[in-house]
Amino acid sequence: MQTRMTTAPRWLTCWLCCVLALYSAAAHSEWGFDASGGFTYDDNLSNAFEADERKGDTAAVIDVAGGYREQLGTSTGLGLSLLGTSQSYLHYTGLSNIGLGARALLRTKFGLGAEAPWLAVSAQAVYHNYHDDNLDGWSYEAGATLGRRFGDRLTVSGSVRYDAYVANSTPPVIVPGLSGSPYDVYGWNLGVQARFFATESDLVSLSYTWRTGTVTSVTEPDLEILEYSDRVSRTDIFGSPEIAYRINANTQTIGIAWSHTLGQRTALNVAYAYRRSQAASDLGVYYANVISVTFSYSY
Amino acid sequence: MIAPAAAARVAMLVCLTLPAAALAAKLSANVRGGDGKPLPNAVVVAMPEDGRLPPLTKTVEVVDQIDKEFVPYVKPVRAGSYVQFPNKDNIRHHVYSFSPPKRFELPLYSGTPAEPVLFDKPGIVKLGCNIHDWMLGYVYVAETPYFGKSAGDGRVELDQLPPGRYQVRVWHPLMQGSETATVQRVELRDETPARVQWTLKLNPEYRPRRMPLPGEPGYR
Repeated sequence: MQTRMTTAPRWLTCWLCCVLALYSAAAHSEWGFDASGGFTYDDNLSNAFEADERKGDTAAVIDVAGGYREQLGTSTGLGLSLLGTSQSYLHYTGLSNIGLGARALLRTKFGLGAEAPWLAVSAQAVYHNYHDDNLDGWSYEAGATLGRRFGDRLTVSGSVRYDAYVANSTPPVIVPGLSGSPYDVYGWNLGVQARFFATESDLVSLSYTWRTGTVTSVTEPDLEILEYSDRVSRTDIFGSPEIAYRINANTQTIGIAWSHTLGQRTALNVAYAYRRSQAASDLGVYYANVISVTFSYSY
Repeated sequence: MIAPAAAARVAMLVCLTLPAAALAAKLSANVRGGDGKPLPNAVVVAMPEDGRLPPLTKTVEVVDQIDKEFVPYVKPVRAGSYVQFPNKDNIRHHVYSFSPPKRFELPLYSGTPAEPVLFDKPGIVKLGCNIHDWMLGYVYVAETPYFGKSAGDGRVELDQLPPGRYQVRVWHPLMQGSETATVQRVELRDETPARVQWTLKLNPEYRPRRMPLPGEPGYR
């Protein structure tokens, strides 16, 4: 625990030094700051297959990002930003966490004008400190998004992304042969998104993502799970002794979001996502509904 | 006793030396949106029906870039004018236009470009920045020097117009329909302003500037 507490601040200090060094070298850097806060409700935090094992909860969420962008040439810009996240759950407080990390984004346009296609390549790493120490770890994401605006109202994009979560700790082995943290997960994501200005101040987004990789589910102790999982550990994160296990699954997520402009820099966002995961084994399908309401500010 | 020929010469001299204002007429225009509110940024143009225009003098107009916006949003100029595009932000901009009356590009720059841009063909030139896609501005290139842009009260006052018959029209970046459909004919006789009025139906503007986007945390 001591090691974890010191790693993140040291890493943060190093990152800040790099930002300041780059800033001093970049005379025309463009600084920016984004913040959003609100609430999100997920009706299946446990990723449970059985209806009576589904655990839903509401979390207060805050996301902040600040950094700068340097235009490297007429069509390419590099953005570096520091990220901060916070999730505070109402009931299942073990899931509450704060995160601190960094993101790099290289964006290039293929041509001149607002309707020129663009490609954005990004990578980010965020360290998460959970209330339940077993979940502490790093999340990583890297991917590319290809997009294009069509006219004044429509923007369409497609993306490919790799995500991974690497937990710090390895829980005690409860089943010989199934070692390692069930919270270590990874996956490949393919997504498409369309954004449409319904009115001058209302932006509607539709998205679809297909992910293949591993997921963590929580269930009551069940020997059958051992047939399908490669990592198992005890957990009481949902208030009673249960087991967390990792399986392979294909997940499809359909999302719709509405963003209403409140000013040049602020917006109210309401989003809904339906998530459906099909286990690679015979475990079946689980699903989740996620609703969020956030207020965002950009400078 | 003055000879008739000498009297005519004196009369001509007096006419030539009279202040121009004494021969000038005025036009007062009032532009409103479809909701009845005064409409700023509308360009009112008066074209003499006899086609007589004063000679062009070289002028350099300015469209600034301030806080990642074109200032002014609409800039009317006479055809043949030059426009300078100073970047007053401490970041770089990349100004361009695809509009047929003037296609040009000022690649990534800070400060003031060395050469102003010549706008020699009448028409509407839409400006953009290749770095900040929400940036939008217009240069209205008029074939006549008799034009003005409405302020917040929707009014345009044109004076120093030679008396005569004019075709007067209005243009706004968001107007529905064509500019030619707004033409009104007026006769300007003296200093009593002729009055014209338009009510323009407007298209929506899908340009929330720097609006945060849902699901995209992080600096863009």
